[in-house]
Amino acid sequence: MRGKHRIVVQNKRIRYDFSVKRNITVLCGDSATGKTTLIDMIREYFENGEKSAVDLLCDKQCAVLEGRTWIGQLSEIQDSIVFIDEGNDFVVSEDFALAVQKSDNYYVIVTREGISTLPYSVEEIYGIRNSGKYGSIKRTYNEFYHLYSIPVPNGKVKPDRIITEDSNSGFQFFEEICRDNNRISCISANGKSNVFKAAAKQAGNRLLVIADGAAFGPEMDKLMALMRNNPNLVLYLPESFEWLLLKSGLLEMKEIEEVLEHPEDQIESSEFFSWERYFTAYLVRATRETYLQYNKRQLNPAYLQKKIVDKVLNAMQGIELHQ
Amino acid sequence: MPEAIFNTSVYFKNDYEDEWITDPFAREMILDVDKSVVLDSAVIDSPVMGKIPPTSLSGGVKTLILIQNEPEKIFNASTCGNNCAKWILKMSKDRDLTINLRHIMDFGEGEFLIRILNTDQIVHNMKELVPIAGLYV
Repeated sequence: MRGKHRIVVQNKRIRYDFSVKRNITVLCGDSATGKTTLIDMIREYFENGEKSAVDLLCDKQCAVLEGRTWIGQLSEIQDSIVFIDEGNDFVVSEDFALAVQKSDNYYVIVTREGISTLPYSVEEIYGIRNSGKYGSIKRTYNEFYHLYSIPVPNGKVKPDRIITEDSNSGFQFFEEICRDNNRISCISANGKSNVFKAAAKQAGNRLLVIADGAAFGPEMDKLMALMRNNPNLVLYLPESFEWLLLKSGLLEMKEIEEVLEHPEDQIESSEFFSWERYFTAYLVRATRETYLQYNKRQLNPAYLQKKIVDKVLNAMQGIELHQ
Repeated sequence: MPEAIFNTSVYFKNDYEDEWITDPFAREMILDVDKSVVLDSAVIDSPVMGKIPPTSLSGGVKTLILIQNEPEKIFNASTCGNNCAKWILKMSKDRDLTINLRHIMDFGEGEFLIRILNTDQIVHNMKELVPIAGLYV
């Protein structure tokens, strides 16, 4: 599946109106906001159609996955938006991650637990809030809102230390910048699941964590909790390092702007487990057999030319890494 | 924590007792978290859904009621949002509680006494709790 899909589901008392645009969306937040009610209404429509007295408008089928027979259920669901309520512990399993990776469905999962096996975006973690009552005074309207709004520091962030999630090209790029700028040190956390531990150790420093926002969702809850008591900790979460390179304008291709504007229209969920993989594949393809040929494992030294470094750093809004 | 009860809604449905719902402390929790009024042991008045049975309470409140009434059991408290945290702290004023958390619950700005069983360390506020608990969730 690709693209953004609007879902409107309602009965006489409650209406939900929201859109999903990536393979994985996570719902969490306070209790009693209507997460389980939403799943119940989707299930009732899925089982009984219009005879459920639930109205559901969407250009894709919406289904509910639950219980011990989830593998069998999922084998019969294609090209659909699949909802999973909390209490289904299979969502943290490797088997489920593999099934998501191979399927052409989108998934909406209710969970407060970070699911480390799934690479979901910080942008696709939502709470539900009441947006008021319109038309019928009996009906409550609910909408999704981004759960994590990363605090924007006053002025430009000038860190003493950088932690990158990446240990490959992204780390090599920032390590070189820090080598030229004696003021800043740079270390790699060697993977997103190590970022929290590395950041917690550095409390007190003016610390910048650079991670791939496209897959950093499972880590966000605890990083945000750490930030609440560490005002010197700042997160910078581009979709990925490759996205940042594309965003910087170093490749003069008009098509890139369109791709970055609406990646969901380009990215087929059954081909790319997360958007970061798409941006890597895109950059590799766009630079093939040019002096900027991109290799994720080993940074091409051409990316360390001053004019390119300047473009990339200028694309990092709110961050000051120049000497 | 394999002994923890993960799907608290299913457990509540098969285990709750009428007097758990009409208990004054439960009434307060239901009013605060779900904004709903207990009319009697079988009927709760929800501002959104109308008259509902106890099984249709929020997952968070159902877990709070289980924690209150089944002290020998350990429940997955990650079915509770942050708006339930103050009630967990209130219940722990009278007795020791053991809960299973799979995320960082925000227990607020105040002081508390929590033992993190993974490391057997006692913490007194969120600044102390987060760096330790964050390694295990």
